[in-house]
Amino acid sequence: MAQRILEPGEIETLAQRSIPRVRLPARATVFARRASRLRDLSTSIGIGDYLRFLAVLVDAQHSLLADLSVCIPTPAHLKASAGHGMPPIQPAAWPRTDAWFETLKGICDALAAHPEFPLGVSETVSRLRRAPREWIEAQADALLQCGDQAIDGAAAPLVMAALQVHWAALAASFTADAVRALDVPGLCPLCGSQPVASVVYAQSPYQGYRYLHCALCATEWHMVRVLCSRCGASGKSIAYQSAMVGAKQENDGSAAEAAVRAETCEQCRCYRKILYQEKDPQVEPVADDLASLNLDLLLGQSGYHRASGNPLLWQPNGN
Amino acid sequence: MSELTRRQFLKVTGVSLVGSSLALMGFSPGKALAEVREYKLTRATETRNTCPYCSVACGILMYGLGDGAKNAQPSIFHIEGDPDHPVNRGTLCPKGAGLIDFVHSASRLKYPEYRAPGSDRWQRISWDDALERISALLKQDRDANFVAKTPDGLTVNRWLTTGMLAASASSNEAGYITHKVARSFGLLGFDNQARV
Repeated sequence: MAQRILEPGEIETLAQRSIPRVRLPARATVFARRASRLRDLSTSIGIGDYLRFLAVLVDAQHSLLADLSVCIPTPAHLKASAGHGMPPIQPAAWPRTDAWFETLKGICDALAAHPEFPLGVSETVSRLRRAPREWIEAQADALLQCGDQAIDGAAAPLVMAALQVHWAALAASFTADAVRALDVPGLCPLCGSQPVASVVYAQSPYQGYRYLHCALCATEWHMVRVLCSRCGASGKSIAYQSAMVGAKQENDGSAAEAAVRAETCEQCRCYRKILYQEKDPQVEPVADDLASLNLDLLLGQSGYHRASGNPLLWQPNGN
Repeated sequence: MSELTRRQFLKVTGVSLVGSSLALMGFSPGKALAEVREYKLTRATETRNTCPYCSVACGILMYGLGDGAKNAQPSIFHIEGDPDHPVNRGTLCPKGAGLIDFVHSASRLKYPEYRAPGSDRWQRISWDDALERISALLKQDRDANFVAKTPDGLTVNRWLTTGMLAASASSNEAGYITHKVARSFGLLGFDNQARV
């Protein structure tokens, strides 16, 4: 929330510059930053042991991504998707190669090397190792919203993690200029998935702009602020709620300092979290979303629904 | 298909956590559920508006607190340029950057006031009195100083002793009407949103 100061000569250049519409994931940092953020956040919260487990999982994603090569979309494919206004690498239409299956094996191997986690983790790993390929593919389809098999909640974060590696590699192969905006502003322009949360950046050239973060391919795309990312409502329907320890009353000013807030919408009664880099430079959408589980619980008590889940924490629908 | 749409949004509760990946893999949600009792929701708002000062009409974001309840007084604690606004892209001039003090100023003008010549105090007057007095003074000034012809005999429509600064967020229609009125008066010292 700092006031933006222009240097001499900047006014002229500012006039021609447009808002950077897309931030693509960088192979070298996307998972490394997430793992380190998960470790940092794990020390102070109730589900810290789960975050430490996820940090190991995300470390594995990082090292597997380094060696992964993917088939990138052909110019003809890109042209066809653009012509139909469809995201170019949407999971329902983009074929998963054997590479993603190898990635899942790699993740299982990495987790098997950590006996300190609860028994459920090693059980899940061995279940996945034994599972037939068709079952795993059906799980992946279900998690990517293009299949209807019952989801194995314990295996879900592992399967999702392997898919993320695959799709992050695909997304990283694009250039920002080549990404076309969709008609639906709340979906990822590359893979059409739902965002996990949004971030308001503090650093130039992204200062003050809000980006939605794709839960699958980690692409970030610009969306105007004070706007419900699910239903498009704006104005008085939108509020920013945060969970504060010992807040005496709702109006005591502490809401102004939170780095993680929920952008709640009275029109659709849903929310997604919004992270303010200015309040905490290290915010990372997937990690901070998980670490603010208490905010989800409080909002759940108040009758709000999450607009979309977190890729690394599958939850059944309680309604 | 209904299965798919239902899964898109979910209410996070103790029950959903007990059935979540976390619990299924043997991690305990108990601590998180106990911890939440120490927390309370606090609420803030961000509201889009237009800077009231000049005809450039910069977009602003006003940060407020308050629960949105009918009787609660929302309190604005910060104002900044709206980064998404095409006119100012998040920037504000020094006047606009000081808007928060304008909102909370102890001497903020909330109704017409009048200070008689020679007096040292302001007195509150009604809108009718204010408008009547303003129009009378405007007419008096225009009658005395209106220029209908230049020294070399050219017919003009000039009222140079009064200026007008109007509107920062008005519609096309309001801009049109303001222009018609001000130009018919002969006002040349005139700034209005219709300029931009």
